[in-house]
Amino acid sequence: MGMEYIIEMLNITKSFPGIIANDAITLQLRKGEIHALLGENGAGKSTLMSVLFGLYQPENGVITKAGKEVSINNPNDANNLGIGMVHQHFKLIQNFTVLQNIILGVETTKNGFLKMDEARTKVMALSDQYGLKVDPDTLIEDITVGMQQRVEILKMLYRDNEILIFDEPTAVLTPQEIEELMKIMKELAGEGKSILFITHKLNEIKSTADRCTVLRKGKYIGTVDVQTTSKETMSEMMVGRKIQFTIDKNPSIPNASHFEVRSLTVSSKRSAKKAVNNVSFTVKKGEILCIAGIDGNGQSELVYALTGLGPIESGQIFLNGKEITKMSVRDRNVLGMSHIPEDRHKDGLILDYTLAENLILKKYFTPEFQDHGFIKFNATHTYADRLITEFDIRSSQGSKTMARSMSGGNQQKAILAREINNDPEILIAVQPTRGLDVGAIEYIHKQLVEQRNSGKAVLLVSLELDEVMNVSDRILVLFEGEIVADLMPAETTVQELGLYMAGSKRKEVVL
Amino acid sequence: MKKILSLLLMVIMVFGLTACGSKPAAQPTQPAQPTTYEIAMITDIGTIDDKSFNQGTWEGIVAYADKSKITHKYYKPTEQSTDAYLAAIQLAVDGGAKVIVTPGFLFEEPIFKAQDLYPNVSFILIDGNPHNADYSVFRTAKNTVGITFAEEQSGYLAGYAAVKDGYTKLGFMGGMAVPAVIRFGYGFVQGADVAAKEMGLTSIDLKYHYTGGFDATPEVQTLAASWYAQGTEVIFGCGGAVGNSVMSAAEAAKTKVIGVDVNQSAESDTVITSAMKGLSASVQSVLTEYHANKFPGGQSLVYAADKNGVQLPMESSKFKKFTKADYDVVFAALAAGKIKIANDKDAADVTKLPVSIVKVTFVK
Amino acid sequence: MKTFRKILLGEEFNRATASIIAILIGLLVGFLVLLISNSAEALAGFKIILSGGFSTGAKGMGQVLYFATPLILTGLSVGFAFKTGLFNIGTPGQFIIGAFAAVYIGVTCTFLPAPLHWIAALLAATIAGGLWALIPGILKAYLNVHEVISSIMMNYIGMYLANYLTKSTIYDIRKAQSLNVADSAVLPKGGLDYIFYNDLGGVKDLSTVNSGIWIAIVVAILIYFIINKTTFGYELKACGFNQNASNYAGINAKRSIVLSMVIAGMLAGLGGGLLYLSGASGRHLKVVDMLAVEGFNGIPVALLGLSNPIGIIFSAFIIAYITQGGNYLQTLNFAPEVIDIIIACIIYFSAFALYFRKLLPFLIKKGRGDRQ
Repeated sequence: MGMEYIIEMLNITKSFPGIIANDAITLQLRKGEIHALLGENGAGKSTLMSVLFGLYQPENGVITKAGKEVSINNPNDANNLGIGMVHQHFKLIQNFTVLQNIILGVETTKNGFLKMDEARTKVMALSDQYGLKVDPDTLIEDITVGMQQRVEILKMLYRDNEILIFDEPTAVLTPQEIEELMKIMKELAGEGKSILFITHKLNEIKSTADRCTVLRKGKYIGTVDVQTTSKETMSEMMVGRKIQFTIDKNPSIPNASHFEVRSLTVSSKRSAKKAVNNVSFTVKKGEILCIAGIDGNGQSELVYALTGLGPIESGQIFLNGKEITKMSVRDRNVLGMSHIPEDRHKDGLILDYTLAENLILKKYFTPEFQDHGFIKFNATHTYADRLITEFDIRSSQGSKTMARSMSGGNQQKAILAREINNDPEILIAVQPTRGLDVGAIEYIHKQLVEQRNSGKAVLLVSLELDEVMNVSDRILVLFEGEIVADLMPAETTVQELGLYMAGSKRKEVVL
Repeated sequence: MKKILSLLLMVIMVFGLTACGSKPAAQPTQPAQPTTYEIAMITDIGTIDDKSFNQGTWEGIVAYADKSKITHKYYKPTEQSTDAYLAAIQLAVDGGAKVIVTPGFLFEEPIFKAQDLYPNVSFILIDGNPHNADYSVFRTAKNTVGITFAEEQSGYLAGYAAVKDGYTKLGFMGGMAVPAVIRFGYGFVQGADVAAKEMGLTSIDLKYHYTGGFDATPEVQTLAASWYAQGTEVIFGCGGAVGNSVMSAAEAAKTKVIGVDVNQSAESDTVITSAMKGLSASVQSVLTEYHANKFPGGQSLVYAADKNGVQLPMESSKFKKFTKADYDVVFAALAAGKIKIANDKDAADVTKLPVSIVKVTFVK
Repeated sequence: MKTFRKILLGEEFNRATASIIAILIGLLVGFLVLLISNSAEALAGFKIILSGGFSTGAKGMGQVLYFATPLILTGLSVGFAFKTGLFNIGTPGQFIIGAFAAVYIGVTCTFLPAPLHWIAALLAATIAGGLWALIPGILKAYLNVHEVISSIMMNYIGMYLANYLTKSTIYDIRKAQSLNVADSAVLPKGGLDYIFYNDLGGVKDLSTVNSGIWIAIVVAILIYFIINKTTFGYELKACGFNQNASNYAGINAKRSIVLSMVIAGMLAGLGGGLLYLSGASGRHLKVVDMLAVEGFNGIPVALLGLSNPIGIIFSAFIIAYITQGGNYLQTLNFAPEVIDIIIACIIYFSAFALYFRKLLPFLIKKGRGDRQ
């Protein structure tokens, strides 16, 4: 049995000041298998991979390759052992060609001159062999994210790597591209490559992986055979409790039109093309309207325009029949607009303020918290304590905790608490679950639905297809600043949605 | 409350620390620092090597103290104000000073106060006499000597030497028309006139002007340049930094300058000589009297040629014809009181001076 | 006892400790420089620095307070700007423009009676300083010109303008400095003349200190309340920490930036007024091409006080205290020029050493070991 494993990491322990990131973790990778590494944020997946890649030295434990103990002190050692990695954020040089990027660092030269022909032949051969179609002479900045990922894979293959690590590879891809990637991974495994696949998406594991190792809070929970293990079991291993996947919700009973956008156009900072082009829609009371789309298709500009944070070129916005197009941010907020921003660190929180100070960020000037220009600190802390209990916001020092020192999930809960507690007429939630673990996602989804059930209008902007399909009552797809589809989740599929998002399908939207 | 308490604690700790430091220091102050400094100088604005009053005075102190083996030291005030000068005087007294020398008229007000605060310390005020802030009371106490100089003699020497050396087109640029500057100017005019008479010359041109300030300004430089362009050969730059502007103009026009107060030959090659005050000589002389228990306390002394209170620095002067022997003759005559020079009390303005050959053009 | 322990473990104490450690490090560096320049008297010299203002009796302590007065204000100016996310390096310019305005009113508006006259002069100083910071504030808020660059520019413009105006309006040519301000414009002693003097055989040798120090302390407390207790301070700080989030919260960030700069400038300008209204024997405006030292010294004061207004009062005291002690070093065989170097070393190394604050919690945690 022992010889069967190409890589074994046995009892790996690695700690950082104040935290044990990996506590006696064991990971055994068979030759030719796709092995998923599953865990929530902070479970220790990245640390474990960094140990394997030579970026960290473990305090304890051994790594063996093909049964022989090895020591990996830096990424070069890892490379020499045939270990390659596709990072979540690609390490490519934007203004180099595909070919230049692939051979970067392992160039063959003759008398100091590059010998590109040999390299080109080898890259093309690999490209054919694994179905990784690329044009070797285009610049990286001109190709899609999916293409760039292929370049990263080719980089590993070009270096004759045997063990391929994929760190959350699907986060940036469309459904079609994800399907493509899964196919490629299977082909690679079929050719005898061994693959480590880091993810927290159970669907992908179920469809691709052979076995799955689960980590939780730095501890090894177990390794299971994917075929014979249910998604529910795996998620329970990951989170430590049962998770509800589908959200209980009654069909929406949309009320009168409540939030209306008419022919909104926003010019782009980068190009002559409009970032948002003639977009119109309405959100009704008791409805969750979702704006779906691949990142960078105008969502940010749209939200900034709606909330008053960014300029608009033309168009009108109405809330409750009142035009708010030219209102200041403050006036919109007072009128009942709540906004869970896309980037909670950039927009949503003042990280160097305490939790309490952040919770009153949009209310500090109201008589509830202000008296003759002085802040009522007692009222502030009472209010904060109430929200902390109500929304189960966890922090080390309660309302006096610095926002910076809180975990991402709790930071997001704080924002959610603040925005929901403003009793909004319209709640604009932008990627509210980004970077959160399953438990927090579940909680936030529930809260959104609750808002909708209590008759609020909710505008959800999301990149996550599962979220789009599960939470929303109606879906608009945004592609290159225009709405290209108006769908009901029950009447569409993830695949169809993906086609709209990628711009390969379009339907006349009647609003 | 917590914050205030913790800050209090911090202060207690810091000051407690200093207290620990100062306790042992307080006791053995005397044995730990056996050196006290008997003669002290307080520097005026500027550094000790300012090529001006500070340096001139300090050189006198060093010359005397080295010869007599007396400890000496200079103190630098934190800033230029009466209070800061008084604080520096206090330092000097704490440092064991028995006699304190202060160069420059800016010390007139501080010494007016200090002479009462430290009755057991003697003060030598160079180039001024103690008075209060609004000039309403002038009083020199028993422990203080005010020294001023016979500027008209110094100016006389410069004017005399310049004409003797062959210059016939002269200029005088004074700063503000204060008595000291006027005396320099009147002496300069009369010295030139006497030299011209002795040489049998028929005409000397002399342009005469007060700039109204003691600063180097572009206006002064422009005016000096225009004088030089009109043929003026040498200008007596008399008044603080006014001389620096004149030197700049002279450097451009390749002409000459006469310096003032101290030997300014190092400041520019254009300086042919300087109408000096005998800073070093007067300091040495009063210090000598002090140690001989003949301190002329309460007096306002005027140092003239007889006490080496004025001079030209012949060793560094750039004269072509005027020799050391010539200088010694005229200096001896001055020292012996054989030459009468009209000063600011004798003539209402420069055109009323009793001169016959020098034609003074007063430029307003 | 319980509260005492709470203080020891508290955040504020941690910060104060870091400042004290920083000062100790600065002193250590100063001691090294003392050793290098004159090893024989280094120890004696170090003791003199430590005994600081106490070296010259009650008057000396008075002088410490006098020197601390402008430092508190410029320290507040820098610290207030820090708190609101701005680096006000324009304090020398604001300071000197404020000083000019105060002296100008003090010399010319002699028709005003005593309390009104100096109050008017201080108000003029405050307004002038504020105006001087308004320009960098507007440039920053509306044109995104970095305030460091524009304030350095304003420093030089301020210095030359103050020189020009001093010379053309209120100049005493004979003494080459500004004229004495009228007695009615001199800050009253505020009772301090009963404390800070040396008795020299029946004659009072008064310290320069005046009610300016009271004003400085009151202003510091005021700023403390504005920053920490008011919605206005909440907004300004929010903009300093995160401009995007402030916009998101509906705060007018541009307005806040301008206001922050103006208030910082007002503080520095007031500092100039307080220093220069100290009477005939005190400081006068000079026409020199040098940026005001008190302005720049606001930076180490603010750093050492961790930008906390109350902390700034103490750090200004400490810096003035050490400076005064350094001056007293002249009684030993140290050249005055070397003393300047020593004091500068102590002050600036103290400010640098505050990086210890970041290290401190880490070191404590490490010390506690496995308990974590």
